[in-house]
Amino acid sequence: MSPRNLTVAMALAIALAAGVFVAARNQAPVAPTSAMLLPAPKPVPAFSLLNQFGEPVDQSVFRGQWDLVFFGFTHCPDICPTTLQVLAAAKKALADQGRELLPRIVLVSVDPERDTPELLARYVDYFGDGNLGLTGTLEELRKLTGGLGIYFEKRPGEGDDYAVDHSAAVLVIDPDGGFHALFSGQHVVDNFVHDLPILMGER
Amino acid sequence: MRLSVIMLAVTLVACGPPGPPLEISELEVTKPIPGTYMSAGFFVLTNNTDEVISITSVDSPQFGRVEIHETTVTDGVSRMRRLDVLEVPAQGSVVLQRGGKHLMLMQAQDIGDSVTLQFLSGDSPVLSVDYVFPKDN
Repeated sequence: MSPRNLTVAMALAIALAAGVFVAARNQAPVAPTSAMLLPAPKPVPAFSLLNQFGEPVDQSVFRGQWDLVFFGFTHCPDICPTTLQVLAAAKKALADQGRELLPRIVLVSVDPERDTPELLARYVDYFGDGNLGLTGTLEELRKLTGGLGIYFEKRPGEGDDYAVDHSAAVLVIDPDGGFHALFSGQHVVDNFVHDLPILMGER
Repeated sequence: MRLSVIMLAVTLVACGPPGPPLEISELEVTKPIPGTYMSAGFFVLTNNTDEVISITSVDSPQFGRVEIHETTVTDGVSRMRRLDVLEVPAQGSVVLQRGGKHLMLMQAQDIGDSVTLQFLSGDSPVLSVDYVFPKDN
């Protein structure tokens, strides 16, 4: 190859590489990196529970906003407050970015025996304003958890001293009341901050 | 001659003032969330001895009961179990952290600015530590 041809070939190669790079940037798939998206949103099943103010609510409580739903209990000192802190921190980070579309944080108690609405009210308030707590009868709770594939089981214990095993996932419910996506595993603030705007259609 | 000097030096170093048998670091105790009466404790225990140290109980005057727990997340399910013993390996450490082993402090009584933890091996106290809550907590 003559020096001139070599120069042309190199220029072409650089141009091609640059083109591929620009194309890749323009068409970079904006996809969640942590959340698992459901193939199609699944309607939240019908249920009747109480919110933290003791008011009866049904599945329509999940309409009108994006919700981050965690299933836990207030007598859980480790994973439940840690997860709610992660969700609260992620919401704050999104607010600090100037985003107006912010998810609501929802704690569904899997320990309705101990988690009264009054107790839930103080608990969810601790993690910020506008949070929702749900509790009620085991039967109604199972309608909600069963329909969403959430597992929980009370472990044997003495009297008031027992723990509840429960799914650790955080569910994303869309404003139409559809189970839209799921965060599983170790919950990390950055994962929510990255994925939520994508899931909520903000970018 | 040179070898014996080195050996003497090694012996002197080995016989230097011993550190405490058991040390605690990175201690954090959460304040009970309003409406609840329990806290969690997270820390690292380091054993400076050549024997395993087995923590069998922890006492705190600020709490009615303290248990050693372990949270595991398996197949997406979070489980919490009580541990009968917390073993600190010889010349090693054990880490208590969120989402893993931790202290579960129950039946919180008047909690002021600090919490005292006393670690026992059988009936023998092996470590006592005060934790002062950060001002902004």
